[in-house]
Parts: sequence; C-alpha cells; structure tokens
Amino acid sequence: MRGVPGAVWVGGAILAAIVTLAVLGPLIEPYPFDEFDVVNRLQAPSQLHWLGTDEFGRDVLSRLMHGAAYSLVMGFGATAISLVIGMPLGLVAAYFGGILSASIMRLIDLLMAMPPILLGLLVLAVTSPSVWKTMVAVGLIYVPIMTRLARAVALSLVGEEFVLAARARGDNAIYILFAELLPNAWPPIIVECGLRVTFAILLGSALSFLGLGSQPPGSDWGLMISDARPFLDDAPWMAIAPGVALCIVLISINLLGDGLRQALDPRLLRRAA
Amino acid sequence: MLKVNGLSVRYATARGGVQALDDVSFDIPAGGALGLVGESGSGKSTVALALLDLLGPAASLSARTFSFDGEDLLDPVPARRQVLRGDQIAMVFQDPSQALNPAIPVGRQIAEPLVRHRGLSRTAALSRAEELLAEVGLPRPREVAAAYPHQLSGGMKQRALIAAALGCEPRLLVLDEPTTALDVTIEAQILDLIEELRTRLDIGLLFVSHNLGVIERVCDEVAVLYAGRLIEHAPAKALFDDPRHPYTRGLLGSLPRPNDGRARLTPIPGEFPDLTKPPAGCIFAARCGQVEPRCAAPQPALDLGDRSARCWQAAAPVAAMAAPVVNPRARPRSSDLPLLVAGNVTKTFRLGGPFARNKVHVNAVDHVSIRLMPGEVLGLVGESGCGKSTLGRCVLRLAEPDQGATIQLLGRDLLAARGGSLRRLRKDAQMVFQNPDGSLNPRKTVRQILRRSLVLHGIARGKAADRRVDELLALVRLPAHYTGRYAHQLSGGEKQRVSIARALATEPKLIVLDEPTSALDVSVQAAILNLLGDLRDELGLAYLLISHDLAVISHLADRIAVMYRGALVELGPAESVLRPPYHPYTEALLSAVPIVGSAWRAAERIRLPGGIVGAAPIGCRFNDRCPRRIGAICDTAPSLATVGPDHAIRCHIASAALTPSSAVAAAD
Repeated sequence: MRGVPGAVWVGGAILAAIVTLAVLGPLIEPYPFDEFDVVNRLQAPSQLHWLGTDEFGRDVLSRLMHGAAYSLVMGFGATAISLVIGMPLGLVAAYFGGILSASIMRLIDLLMAMPPILLGLLVLAVTSPSVWKTMVAVGLIYVPIMTRLARAVALSLVGEEFVLAARARGDNAIYILFAELLPNAWPPIIVECGLRVTFAILLGSALSFLGLGSQPPGSDWGLMISDARPFLDDAPWMAIAPGVALCIVLISINLLGDGLRQALDPRLLRRAA
Repeated sequence: MLKVNGLSVRYATARGGVQALDDVSFDIPAGGALGLVGESGSGKSTVALALLDLLGPAASLSARTFSFDGEDLLDPVPARRQVLRGDQIAMVFQDPSQALNPAIPVGRQIAEPLVRHRGLSRTAALSRAEELLAEVGLPRPREVAAAYPHQLSGGMKQRALIAAALGCEPRLLVLDEPTTALDVTIEAQILDLIEELRTRLDIGLLFVSHNLGVIERVCDEVAVLYAGRLIEHAPAKALFDDPRHPYTRGLLGSLPRPNDGRARLTPIPGEFPDLTKPPAGCIFAARCGQVEPRCAAPQPALDLGDRSARCWQAAAPVAAMAAPVVNPRARPRSSDLPLLVAGNVTKTFRLGGPFARNKVHVNAVDHVSIRLMPGEVLGLVGESGCGKSTLGRCVLRLAEPDQGATIQLLGRDLLAARGGSLRRLRKDAQMVFQNPDGSLNPRKTVRQILRRSLVLHGIARGKAADRRVDELLALVRLPAHYTGRYAHQLSGGEKQRVSIARALATEPKLIVLDEPTSALDVSVQAAILNLLGDLRDELGLAYLLISHDLAVISHLADRIAVMYRGALVELGPAESVLRPPYHPYTEALLSAVPIVGSAWRAAERIRLPGGIVGAAPIGCRFNDRCPRRIGAICDTAPSLATVGPDHAIRCHIASAALTPSSAVAAAD
C-alpha cells in the first residue's frame, strides 16, 4: 500500500513478533516456567539462563515468554472493552447533549470517583478470580477515560456544518455518529488506546498482585516486576527483563497507532495527481 | 510621509520560496489615505505587516526605499525600528474580538503602551485612555475602560482598538480589514469615525480591504494588488469610473449591486497563479482576455501621470463595457401550489444549564411567516444575530421550532413527520452552508459525499450512482476527475460547488442557501452567484437565500424579507423593498451598505446609533435605534401592514410618511 508510513510496518512487525512469541511461548520456553531450582536462585544472565533466574531459581526468560500471552490478552482485551463501551457512550453524549448527555457523564463521573483497585476488587469479590474477569474489571475501569475523550473530540465536531448537512440529507443519528463523526474522531482515540494497553497490563498485574488475576505459580509481566522489587539490588535482571518487554510492546503499539493516525488522515496524503 | 519603493517580500515554505510581494511601490503623503485592495492571497496584509515590522523570521524583505519621514524603516537596529513604529505608525487589526485580551480590562490595555512608550504614570495613562475612548465616540468612557472585552459589542471593541491605536498620537494609521468582522450598520459607524478622525487629527491612512465599496468611501487613492504585484494605482474616482487594468475591471464586474438589474455578473476566469513559480511575464496573463505577444515579457508599470497600471493597454480608456444583458425572469405563476408555507415560526433558546438560577430566554425567531412558490427566490436579509439562519434551519427542521408553528412542504406537514416520512420530505428540501471548510467531511472524497445522498434516497446505486456523480459535478461546472479529491484539495469556491452538488443530489425543489458566498472572494462569489442563477433557471429550483449582504440578496431574489431581532420587519417583491416606502431599518441598511458606483455616492447617509446589545426593547423591537421614532406609540408592538401589492411593513408610521425622507430614493 502506498502512502502508509513506515512506522506502521515497523510497529506492526515488532508487535507480530511479540505475539508470535507469546503464542509459541509454552512450546519453546527453554525451561518449564514453574520449575524451582533453589540452588541456582538469583543467577545473573548466563549461557544457561539468558535472562537469569529469580528468587526460586526459575528461568526468567521462560517466565517472560509464558506470561506474555496473559499480559497481552490483558492489555488488548481490557482496552478493547473500554473502547467498545466508552467510545459510543462519549459520541452519543456529545451528539445528543441535554439530559442524556448529563446522565451519561454523571454516571461516568461516579465510575471515575472510585479508586480503580477498589472497583476491581468489587467486580472480583462477587465471583471467584479468573483471568477474563480481571480483564473485564480493568476494561470497566478505563471506560470513563474513553468516554470523556470521545465526547471531547466529538463535541468539537458536532457543530460542524457537514454534520448538519448529513441531517439535512436525511441520515439518521447512528449513521452520523459512526460514518461522519467517528472517522474524524479516530486519531486521538487511537493514540489513547496505545497508551491504555500498557496501563492495562500494569493495572492487571496490580490486581494479580492482590490475588485477583493470574495465580502463583502462574506468570505475568506485571507480577514479575512486582515480585522483583525486594531483589532490585541483588538481581536487577528480574525487573529489567519484563520492564524492557513492556517497553517494547508500548513502543511498537505507539508506532503502530501513530502510523495509523497518519495513514487515516487524507490531509497528510500527497495531493492526488 | 511614507515612501515605499520596490518592496519585495519572500517567504520560505516547505514547497519553496513564495514571492509574497514583488516590487511594490507607493507613497502616502501626510494626511493622505491610500486604499490597498486585493483578494485573499494578494499580499495586502503582508504590506501592512511589513510596515509594522511584524513579518515572521521566515520572511525576507528587501526594498529600494522604505522610509517614514526620511527615517529608514529597515534600520538594522531593532530598537530603533520599534521606536518609529510605536510612535508614528499604529495598526488596527481585523477581528476586534481577537485583538483584545479577554482577561484584562479594556482601559488597562489602552493605557499599557502609554506607560511604556510615553512614560506616563499608571493613573495618568488610565485617564488618558478614558479620553481616547471618548474621542472615538464611546459613551460613558469610564465604564467602558473598566469593562472586560466580552462586555462590549463588536463595534465598541473596534472603537476601543482604534482608541488604543491613537494612544501615541501616530501620524499613520494602518487599518487591516477593520470592518470585515462587523455588521453593515456598525461598519458604517466605524467608517464615519475613521473619516472624522482623519480630518480632525490629520492622520494618514493605509486602509487594507477586500471590499471595494469601503475603500471607495474612505480613500483618496487606491492601489490594487494581485498576486503580490501592484497592478494598478490611481485616484479613487478615476479607478472606479475608468479602471485600466483588466483585473480591476474584472473585480468591478464581479460585484453584485442592488441596482444592477440582475445582469449576469462577469467573474474573472481561471485561478490564482502559483507564487512558488510565478510567470516571467504579466502575472495576470493566464486569466486575461486580451493577451498580446508582448505580455509574455516582464510587465513594467506604465506611468500615466496621476495613475499607473501594469498593462500594455492601460494608456487608453476602455470603451464602455457593453450594457449588461438583463434577462427579465418570468415571475413564478401564482396559480401554482406554494412550495413552502411556514407560519408562526418561533424559536426560543434557553440559556443556562438545568440548574441555572436566572434562565435567559432568547427569542431568536419570533412569529415569522413566509411562503415560497416553486421556482421563486426569497431573500432573507438581516444583520448577525437577527435570527435569519435559525429561521432557515427551522424551515428544514434542522432546528425544532417552538409549539404553534406550522411548516408545510408541498402541502405535507414537516413538523409531524418522523423517521422515514421525514427522510422523504428532506429529499425535497436541501441546504448549502456558509463555511466551505466545515461543510464537507474532511475524511471523505467528493465521490463518497455525493454518492451517500444518491444511495440513501434510492436515486441510484452501483455504476449508475457513479455516472450520476459525474453528472452532478458537471452541473456545478467541476471537472470529472475531482471525484477522488478530499475537501482540503479544493479551493474555497470549489468546496462551495461540491456543497451545491451535494444539495442537488437529492433532486430537491427547494434549497436553503445560508450565506453561500460570504466566505468567498468577490470574483469567486460572482461565479457562484451566476451558477446559482443558472441552476435555478435550468432546474426550476426555489431558493431561500439567507445573507447579510443586501447586494447579493437583491441580485438573486424575487422577493425580499428583512429581519431584525427575530421578527420580519419588511416583506415584499425585491423591487418594492429596495424602493420607498421603506421600513426605517431597511432604509438604514440600504444607506449603510458601501456600494461602488457614483450614483450611490452622494446619498445622504442614515446612521443607526448603538448596536444590538442585551434583550430586545419592549414594543417595537427597533425603537431603541430607530432614527424615525415617533413617540410613545413605538413602545407598543406594530403589526405587519400592507403598503402595496404583496408588500408589507411592520411600522407605526403610515406608509405615505415612510416614502420620502431618504436621499437613497433620489439616487434611484
């Protein structure tokens, strides 16, 4: 495809590689992710353990690969949930205004006023912990942000005359929201989604830390980072490895998001020859 | 006093250097007034900014002479350049609502430069600011000085800015489109003020504007800029009566005038040249109708005594232009069923949220009734805030009128329609909007925009829809290859053509045109007005034409409705409304419009005091500004009284008494 910025390809390629590793992780991990080897605990990276071992002698690389799937599902799933619920709410609030907008936004404020962890606890306390429930909880926590963003972007657009022109033509609200407003509202939403994925991975692991997400001896990146905290002096690789992995995911998503934003903007295309 | 010789400005841009000004020369004697006319992109603001040393770092400036009273305006020491500017040359910007800082009281903003440049103490500067505000005709200057900008009307803000410019007693005032953002009656007040200040204080003026009528009123000399070159320079009267450059003639031919008998306008063909690679010869040659071989060579300015022009043929006056062809239109037959009947349309806006203590109710439209026959053009004229756009939207049900209104389109009730039946009604009535930049979705191609209407109303699909898109583009005189373009790849006029094509796509019988040309340059406006006239004749369309510009309205409209503060004050056939008897407001409006042409120049001017501020007065809405108030009866609301065939005026003054008085009538 011409006109698609290189950033999309670079970001996409990195992300694809990470996803492949995550999917294949359990098959190609050099050691079982939960195998204790107390003799070799807190080993620095070496030929045997490329990324070192943790406080129980477990191989960090294996745990990283094993936890990738969980972290990525958490990040993308929760973001998708917040997007699917939050964005339409924001568009509707902006377009209709009035009492509907006021009700939606006050509800969103209520959700926002609750501490995220508490909200997560609330969702999870009702039922037994499982990965997908954590994902839903994190997704719900981020709904207000998406709603507010979508509303703010759409508010600047609903007054435009092309929206009025669509109404004059006879188009209904659903068409106007999703075919006229949304294509113009995407850019900031895409950028926000890129950020949300990383935040969701971290929040997901915070909930795991509280015993609400993946359970030991399971592994995820956020949990690995928090587990590493007491050993930062002796075994920094325990934190660095998942931290760097998270960074790479973040950078690739942002490259992809920013590239998509540009690719979707006709103003940045060269003048049609 | 001001001497400019060979001024050139070049901007570096991503696409290469742009020659914004090329060898511009003019002088302004002490107390003289030079008008600088040009369309957007002509470089007229660049001249003003160069004078004030406000060009950005991307601009490189050169000139043989650029001096004020013998002092070099290009002095390499920035401090000396600034002293000259602050002291001797002052500027008034275009948009008064943006030129004042909203967080600082007006008086302090005027006093600030006095403290800095004149070394006055704060209190002395403030009292001087009040004097200045009084000088520019603001009542209660002390209160105005203490007010924040949002508490003043647009006209008051512009007066305050002029007061600020006068603060250091400049000898040259640079006015960059000082009245473009204002209503005509306010514009007239400001122009009066500028003329008065000029004679009283003996200030020189450089008046930059796209509006030829305004320039003609204020200036002794006029310079016409085109694509960064001064193409004609002459005394005002000579320029308007006997333009020598084909571009100047084109501009004048593009102007609609209330008394032009609706002749077809003669717009300038072609497009503005690309200034990154300007042609070697005459800059206007590509659009000129009388090119000769020597036009390909560099075009010097021909000196013709008191005037000059950059055209080989400028020496001889042009034979009088052929009398415009007036094609009288067959009036729509009155036996036809009315297309649109709107009765008692009222629209109230409530300001303040659901919990606001004092809710303000604004009657944007107040019991307005209009009807429109098939093929007829009804012009709706009024100043900003008079409710004309709201009425236009109510008529299409893009805004919901209050209870009690009736709107019938082809005999069908528009207000009762829901869902599918509303959509079918919408097919017959479409709208074209004012702002060409906002009215096309930036993410859609021309084809997507036009196809949607066709598919939505089941007019055409698949290949047939593509063919119809091409037909629609042809109808609005755009080339077929524009289908793949996005809005940002079109010029303002082209965008407006696409908007018109979009309205035509549903095959409507009525189009509401909301200020369709007010964002366009004169020559582009002429082309769009011609197109609208042609489409009306070809397709038998009816228009509800909304505009603040009486010239545009009277050029196209069969009937005219004048609105003031939400109510119709006059309604009748165009020729009756433009001729006495007038409603006092219509009369003031007509006399405020600066119109190019000698016949109108002598007209005695009627000025409306004040502006539209706060709630409408009780009784006649116009009674607080009316120059012909007759007494206590004006505190009761008048009704629309018939004064002639199909012609009604809302005024207590008897129609016979409304007839004479005006000198506008004498020009007729």
